[in-house]
Amino acid sequence: MKLTLDLDLKKCTSCGACAIACMDQNDIDVERGIRPFRTVFDWENKTGGTGRKFIHISIACMHCTDAPCVLACPSACISKDKETNLTVFDNTNCIGCHSCAMACPFGIPSFGEEGKMQKCDGCAVRVKNGMEPACVRACPVQALKLVDIDAENSQTEGASLQKLGKEILEFQT
Amino acid sequence: MESYAIIGFGTAGYHAARAIREADKEGKIDVFSNTGEAPYNPMLTTYYASGKLSYEAMFPFGSLEEIKRELDIRMVSQPVVELRAKEHMIKTAEGIWGPYGKILISAGASAIAPRIEGLDGKDCFLMRTCQDALRLKKRLAEKNVKSAVVVGASMVGIKVVELLADQDIQTVLADLAPYMFPTAAYENVAHEIERRLQARGVRLLFQNTVARVLDGPDGRMAVMTQGEEIPADIVVLCIGTRANIGFLRPEEIKTGKAVIVDPHMETSVPGIFAAGDCCEGNNLESNETQIIGLWANANYQGLTAGNSMSGGQKKFDGNILHNITHFMDMDFVGFGDNRIQGQTLESGSLESGLYIKAVCQGRRIVGVNILDSYRISGIIKNYMLRLLRGGGNELTVFQKGMLVQAGMDGRFIDRLEEAVSGTD
Repeated sequence: MKLTLDLDLKKCTSCGACAIACMDQNDIDVERGIRPFRTVFDWENKTGGTGRKFIHISIACMHCTDAPCVLACPSACISKDKETNLTVFDNTNCIGCHSCAMACPFGIPSFGEEGKMQKCDGCAVRVKNGMEPACVRACPVQALKLVDIDAENSQTEGASLQKLGKEILEFQT
Repeated sequence: MESYAIIGFGTAGYHAARAIREADKEGKIDVFSNTGEAPYNPMLTTYYASGKLSYEAMFPFGSLEEIKRELDIRMVSQPVVELRAKEHMIKTAEGIWGPYGKILISAGASAIAPRIEGLDGKDCFLMRTCQDALRLKKRLAEKNVKSAVVVGASMVGIKVVELLADQDIQTVLADLAPYMFPTAAYENVAHEIERRLQARGVRLLFQNTVARVLDGPDGRMAVMTQGEEIPADIVVLCIGTRANIGFLRPEEIKTGKAVIVDPHMETSVPGIFAAGDCCEGNNLESNETQIIGLWANANYQGLTAGNSMSGGQKKFDGNILHNITHFMDMDFVGFGDNRIQGQTLESGSLESGLYIKAVCQGRRIVGVNILDSYRISGIIKNYMLRLLRGGGNELTVFQKGMLVQAGMDGRFIDRLEEAVSGTD
């Protein structure tokens, strides 16, 4: 089983419910300057190069199969969870060097008050206990899904954020 | 049953052993190491010396016993004195080992330590190994170090300066180069970093280094090459590293400043591989082999070498020079070769907030400096790599969105895309 979070770009309305649920689940206090794990925004693509003029996006850790951040972390704080394949972390020995951020082609890792890395862990504990990630549960249009990339037809056809992410990762080291 | 030998057990050797064991559950893996320790990360030594990390935390993959169990390897704790590459034999001080089916050279690199007249070993420090970190930590614990000279305006040098300044030690940073981070920073970015360091009480001396050390009535003084005498209870040398390849026969295996490898990490001798700081892989910008002595690069090289040694077909086509360093509440990011000239684009302010400078040439981004924004670094690096590896010249729509969310001016993204598409 290789789990990841995927977003159907055709369904997302960037309503932000996922980000609120994530902040609640992970006790993220934005008033103290902590960056939410999930970023939600609208984007107007002026060049039209992708054929999409205006899109809605909700993005957090992409839980890459060969996650570049895992190899980049000098303290081995980031790893792939053996049971779920979600990209999890233990920031006890994080030195706040930001190497993981330099390795991430999606701009995901953020750093808390003590300068230690934190990010979406796919709600790995919830998932292991048979529950959905908080963002997936809160999405009112079922744009966010927890998918098993080993399973057939796991990706949202044609409008999958994971599909776009995979293309980006081909160039990353 | 295949037999493998790994010479040197840093992160490249560890990742190679992991990749071998993943593909070959039965093969015999002998690891030659003279440290008697688990793989450690040289980058963490300053964090231990400053008290921010425990000693054990310098070993990110656990203890040697844990690793031996995990990977089913046999440790040979003897220094390798010679590799007979064509015979696949290894000579240690105590005997001859092999022949092995496949051998990995992952012996790493050592800090360059020029002898300085008048400076005894007790107060001269390097910063590369766990022993170096232990020595400095112990010396600082004596609480009588009031002044220090750090030689080397490098990523290591700046971390040493930070830890000394944090302990209110009067610190001078000296380098023969004309400015900070000479191999990574553009001059205007370097000068801004210098301004900030000086504001924090660090004295900087460029085109200058320690010529000798004198013990006088006012204590120990460093005599600089430009003549000035500076108080220096200790001197820390962070000049750079040199690949550990002294045990190779140059007539047998192709070397430059390190062992030269192909994309499978194989050397000029079939069945002999190399990875990490002792090897020269491909620089994607120059298409020439070069040491890119960085943690993540060593990990990619180690995994590739281990995969190749155990019959896989993985390739690692190379990398670009890339650094991120976080010190004294600032981030400096440098990508690519800062010597290459071209169309220069800038955005943001050097003094506050996000600043980026990108140099473009021939539809590629050849160099980038970023100050005070780690958030955009990964996307910009990915864009550079995509252009070098023949991907499209347009940033993916959500990467653009994330850059703007991180504070980058959207118009800069448009200018960057135009510069590499050759439309202006």
